[in-house]
Amino acid sequence: MDHGVLALTNCRIANVPHATLEKITEEFPHLTRLLWLSTLIDGAIHREWLTTMGRLSATAHMAHLICELYLRLKVIGRAEGDTIQLPITQAELGDTLGLSTVHVNRVLQELRKEGLIRFQGDALTILDWERLKTVGEFTPTYLSLQNEDR
Amino acid sequence: MHEITLQPMSVLADGGSHEGQLILADGQLVAVFSWVTPEETVGGLERAGGWFLEAGFGPCSGLLSTTPPVLETLDDAVTWVRGRLDNGLIPS
Repeated sequence: MDHGVLALTNCRIANVPHATLEKITEEFPHLTRLLWLSTLIDGAIHREWLTTMGRLSATAHMAHLICELYLRLKVIGRAEGDTIQLPITQAELGDTLGLSTVHVNRVLQELRKEGLIRFQGDALTILDWERLKTVGEFTPTYLSLQNEDR
Repeated sequence: MHEITLQPMSVLADGGSHEGQLILADGQLVAVFSWVTPEETVGGLERAGGWFLEAGFGPCSGLLSTTPPVLETLDDAVTWVRGRLDNGLIPS
């Protein structure tokens, strides 16, 4: 592996041997298409991140990240209304976005002051989705969330 | 050895007015440090606030230092600037 993955919270993981994956691709074309789709979405997310990392201001980048996390959690049923759980420190957010903790703090203050988001402990509430999307130049197309027959 | 001089200057950073210092090397502006509160540093590196590299130029530029440092004292800030001036392109 060229990378590692670390969970921020307790989580359940499964180890799927390559042989099993091969069997699935041979016997279940529908699951194969879904695996392929998941790979394509991964690629799309990486492309989106390349541009957000290089071309958005710190504030826009943070807004973009919040929009993406919100939609990704919502689609798997982990959003309660406009609120998601985000058990992540500002230092970790800084590592994610390539920002100093000072900038992370200022950017979050800015988004708060503008009435776009609210933090209560780990709970992040989106107060103005439309403006947050505008600030983050966020278009969710790359997440392929529209319901289609797969 | 570069001649480093400091000049107090209030900085209107995000979140309002900050106490600041211009740092000049041989009469040229190379860095602007502002005093940030513990809240702004989020207790980073367990410090109670510090001098944050608000802007840097040339060897002190953000292009060379993607995570601007928060330093405990102005002496530390000057040492950091000297390090940058001496090291050139090699990241600190």
